[in-house]
Parts: sequence; C-alpha cells; structure tokens
Amino acid sequence: MENWDSELNQEPAEEQPVQAGEAPSGAKTRRDSSDGKDLYLNVRVLVVIMAVFVLMFTFVARIIVVSGPSMEDTLWGGDLMLVWSLVYEPRQGDIVVLTQESYQEDSIVKRVIAVGGQSVDIDYYSGKVYVDGRPLEETYIKERMQVPHYGEGLNHVTVPEGCIFVMGDNRNNSADSRYPDIGIVDTRCVIGRGVAVLFPFHHWKGL
Amino acid sequence: MNLFVNKRFSSRLVWLLSTLAAALVCAALRRWQLDSAFEAGAGLPIPGAQSSVILACVLVMAAAWFVLLALGQPVSKRPWTEGQAHRWDLVFLDAGDPVYPILVVLAAFLALAAAPVLLPMALNQWSAYQAAVQSGLTPPSSNGVLSAATALGALLAFLGLLQMGRDGLHPGRRGKGGFSAALPGIAGCIWLMESFRAHAANPVLWDYAPLLLSIVCGMLFFMDFAGMSAGAARPTRLLWLAAMTLVLSAVSLTSAAAEGGWHDLLLLAAQGLAAAAVLWRLPPKLESPPQPRGISIPQRTGESSIQEETDDE
Repeated sequence: MENWDSELNQEPAEEQPVQAGEAPSGAKTRRDSSDGKDLYLNVRVLVVIMAVFVLMFTFVARIIVVSGPSMEDTLWGGDLMLVWSLVYEPRQGDIVVLTQESYQEDSIVKRVIAVGGQSVDIDYYSGKVYVDGRPLEETYIKERMQVPHYGEGLNHVTVPEGCIFVMGDNRNNSADSRYPDIGIVDTRCVIGRGVAVLFPFHHWKGL
Repeated sequence: MNLFVNKRFSSRLVWLLSTLAAALVCAALRRWQLDSAFEAGAGLPIPGAQSSVILACVLVMAAAWFVLLALGQPVSKRPWTEGQAHRWDLVFLDAGDPVYPILVVLAAFLALAAAPVLLPMALNQWSAYQAAVQSGLTPPSSNGVLSAATALGALLAFLGLLQMGRDGLHPGRRGKGGFSAALPGIAGCIWLMESFRAHAANPVLWDYAPLLLSIVCGMLFFMDFAGMSAGAARPTRLLWLAAMTLVLSAVSLTSAAAEGGWHDLLLLAAQGLAAAAVLWRLPPKLESPPQPRGISIPQRTGESSIQEETDDE
C-alpha cells in the first residue's frame, strides 16, 4: 500500500518560474510546504509507531507490571514481565497472566499446576501438591505450604477440559485456584504466558 | 483492474454505496455476534462461533474490495500547475458543496461532546485511585489521567475538524485545512492508549479488538488526510482508509451502543462522519481536481478542461 500513490508526491526538482496569476510568494509557499512536510512526516512516524505498538501489545505480546507478593521468589512486585499471547495454549508449569472477574477486574499472575483432565490433590500436612497422584517437584516455591487463612479451599479436584488449576509460588501469600472466588480457571480467561522478566535488570531472566 | 473504466457509475457513488453497504452488513453481523457468540454471564467467547467467523471474513473481504476500488480509482495525473503538485489539499477547499463541510462540522461537535463525558469519568477514576491509595488498598488500574488526556484530545479533534469544515465553507488561499486533520489523528493516539488501558486486563479479544482497530484506522486516515496538504499526498490510500474507518467504526459503534460507552460512541461517530465526508468529496475531485483561481493550466489534446475553481479570500 505504501507505493499506491508515490507518483503523486513528487515535488518539482527545480524552482519554477512564477506564472501569470500565480501568487507572487510562490517560492515561500514551497519552502513553507517543505517545512510542513518534514513536520508532518515526523508526526506520522510517531503515530504509526504508536499504532504498531498498541496492535502488537493487543495481538502478539504485551508487557505487564507484576503487583503483589504471590509469585515470590520467581516474580517480585514491580517487575516488568513480557507476556506472549499469540496462539497460546496453557501447559503445566507455565507462568500465566489471567483475569478472573469473579475475583477482581485486574489481571493476576500465577503458575499452571494442572490442565484439563488432570487431578490435583493438595496435602497441607506434607506440604506437597499431587497431580494425577504424583507429587510435584517444586523448586520454585518460596516456603513450605501451610493451610491458608481462608481454609483448605479447593484441594481435591479433577480439572475439567478447557480449564486450568493455578497457584502462586508464594503459597502462603497467594489467592489462587484454592481460593473459592478464583477456583478453576477457564483457559479463555488466560491473556498469555510469561516469557521473561525485562526490568529491573538484576531480575532479568527467562521464565 | 479498473472498476470505473466504463463510467457507468461515478466513483463517488461506488465508494459511498460500497462503504455504506459494508458498514451496515458488518454492524448487523456485530449485533448478531454480541447476541450469539458469547456465553451468557461470563461473557467468554464461544469457540468457532459462526457469527464471529463470518464477521471476520466479511471485514477481510471488505478490505480487499476497497483495495480493488482504490487501485481502480481514476486519478488526474496532470500537475495542476507548475510547482503545485502538492496542492492535493485543494480538493477539500472547493466551495459550493455543502455536504462535506456539514458532515465535518457535525463530526467536530460530536468530538466536542465526548469531552464532557470523559472529564467526570476521569475525576471519578482519580478520586477512586486516591481513596484506594490512602486506605492502603490495591489501587485500581486507572488513575484517570489518560481519560483526562483523552478529553483534551477530543477538544483537539474538535478544533481540527472545525477548521477542516471551515475550510470547506470558506476556502483560504493556502491549504491548511487538510493539515488540521493531524489534530484528530494525534487525539486518536491518546484515545487509543486510553482504550487499550481500559481493556488491557480483558482476555476476550473480540470485546475490544474492533474498537482498537477502528481507532488505529481512524488515526491513519486523519494522518493521510493531513498529508494531502503537506506534500505527502496518497489520495487513493486515503480513500481506502476512509472506507475502512467508516466500516470499522460502524462495527465498534454497535458494541459501544450495547455497552453504553458514550465517549467511544461519540468519538467513533465523529471519525465515521469525517470518513464519510472524505468519501463524498474525494473521488470526483481526484478525477477532475479544482485549481487555484487565476492559474491557467495548459490543455492537453483530447483532455477535458477543468471547470472547478476555488475561491480565494
């Protein structure tokens, strides 16, 4: 599309003589127009960049700011995280950004513990999470899991197809699928997968 | 492929009819989609919903059709005067056609009407944010600044559109009218940021992607419009963008009306009207552009003379 009308934009290479009836300030008009064109082109570049960024953030990937301690020590409040959302299907172990409106309107960041068809059993006494009867090797959790303040919540469940069971890495300070207002999450509520922490630089890492 | 080669239909008629038909069909499809493609209660999209697939296909087909129309649009290749090759803004400064200025001035006042809707919203968001911060709760995602900036952008859009309409009524000697279009283009950037922020946590793309696309299309349309008076004219691309702005605005208007998003509704109507004004004015003037009064243009053999003139103040 960029070249549709390229012919129409050609300016005369040389100063043309003023014709009969033409404004006497023709040369000035052309110089002004050139200044105006430079300004216009700069503004247009900025507008196009803005449009490309917003469309990319909408359809491909976006950057979000992590808020709250629920994913410590993997993610910290204030971290800038790159989230990939183009053609993404949640998998076990992924860090995902999702929105569960029954809990809050803003999005939350959690780790996928189990996907559709898998069963989840949480044993607070041993501090272990079992998926399909096998204990998870969770090197990422902050500390040993205890019974949360809202009770044991959802701790023995088979995840329906098209849904995921999510938990925060900071198990004792996380509202996640155990919490009744969040519960099992529909995969259509997932915005994307956390790919990397971009900022601050000393937190930089792939996820 | 030249769709206008046999001159059975004027290019204005083809552009307007095509665009309005596409806009109506897409708006009806969007209404159908809102009624049938989302789960009641949760509002999550039903995978593979017929209405969503058909709407996407019709939008792509409309875009392709407008590309064909734009490629076939007859454009006068003759420079209007020596050194005046950039004066494509003159097509919008031609007096005697009330439709263009009326549409543009109406668009200006619709944009203006969005400002008093946005300002109270911004104040409410600011108050809620401050209250949450002071009480130690998690603050809401918006502190109202972007909404206030969008209200300011609506005022800018009003001024730009009003100037464009004024130029259509009382053309000046130089083409500044088209450059005023940069103001609604810039205002569109702020509106785009505000709309993205408002929907950033929404996982349902269909809820807001049409709105973002229509804003982007409108921004680019206004910037190409501004280019007509800045020596960077791309008139057939401007036609394509105008048509797509109108169609996408019609789609987004349908959902904005259903959701009660008044500022979106007013701003979408404003950019849609401005696009309709360009579709009314531009196609015939590309075939036979007006010339500044008092400048003679040498006739080419077998080429009809240019009758239109602009009034200089």
